[in-house]
Amino acid sequence: MTTLGRGTVPIVDEPVDWPTALSLPGPAQDMALRRLHALMVRAARHQVWRMRGMLPGVDAVTCEDLANSAADEALTALLGKLDTFEGRSRFTTWAYKFAILQAATEVRRHAWAKREVHLEDADLWSDKGAGPEQHAEAVDLASAVADAMREALTPYQRKIAVALLVDQVPVDVLAERLSTTRGALYKALHEARGRLRAHLAATGHLTDPDGSHR
Amino acid sequence: MTHESRRLTPEAARLLTLSTEPWVSCDECFELVDAYVERLLEDPDTTAMPGLLVHLRGCAACAEEAESLLLLVARQDGRDPGPAVARLRGLG
Repeated sequence: MTTLGRGTVPIVDEPVDWPTALSLPGPAQDMALRRLHALMVRAARHQVWRMRGMLPGVDAVTCEDLANSAADEALTALLGKLDTFEGRSRFTTWAYKFAILQAATEVRRHAWAKREVHLEDADLWSDKGAGPEQHAEAVDLASAVADAMREALTPYQRKIAVALLVDQVPVDVLAERLSTTRGALYKALHEARGRLRAHLAATGHLTDPDGSHR
Repeated sequence: MTHESRRLTPEAARLLTLSTEPWVSCDECFELVDAYVERLLEDPDTTAMPGLLVHLRGCAACAEEAESLLLLVARQDGRDPGPAVARLRGLG
């Protein structure tokens, strides 16, 4: 065991060459799989507890179940992509990201399981009741953005943008409800942002569609 | 279709008008994020992968997962994650 100092998490007897150890059938592979699964559980547990605030009323046993389930799913996903590991990071860092993605997705799904997602073509306006602490220029921009939402976006882009950035529906939850992917929704949001910026530049609220606000 | 009025706060307006150029997809972000996190822990001022940092500022889910990965690796390695986290959040 390597001791790394106070507050650190040691890695126990890590294989020097994880991809090879995981690829060749035999006792070494079995050992590598067990060690890798333990790492995935560690990362998934880290993620679940980090997002614990999204799960009010959920007990520790359920959190642990979520972490273990996510680790199992992530291990399967990782093994399916083992041949894509190029060594640009340490194997453990590469592995952790699979567990973190899966655990975060599971937590968001669990947190929103009983919540409806309203995809409505909302009319937006700036916060007219904003307090004096909110700068007048920021309120003016919000008002201009609301106008741009109506004028520059398609109904689909508007719904996606409102759901993700106004109603703060997690992107993977929205993707699941719409039977699409996180990547497709982010692409739609990217295009909506581009349209909004171009419109605001044309109306003088942005100096440069690729730059900063006025 | 029901039309519903909503409150558009200045923060929501900022997020709606964030520039997300150069384009990096969520899939590309996932491919690169492990190497980026290690690089950021080595050098929080790194200018490597500028498109990835833009993506992380514009995608809340990827940003959450990147920060989580960074903290896990930092804890494992006994590093101070502070400067790298500040950079991820646009504060450093």
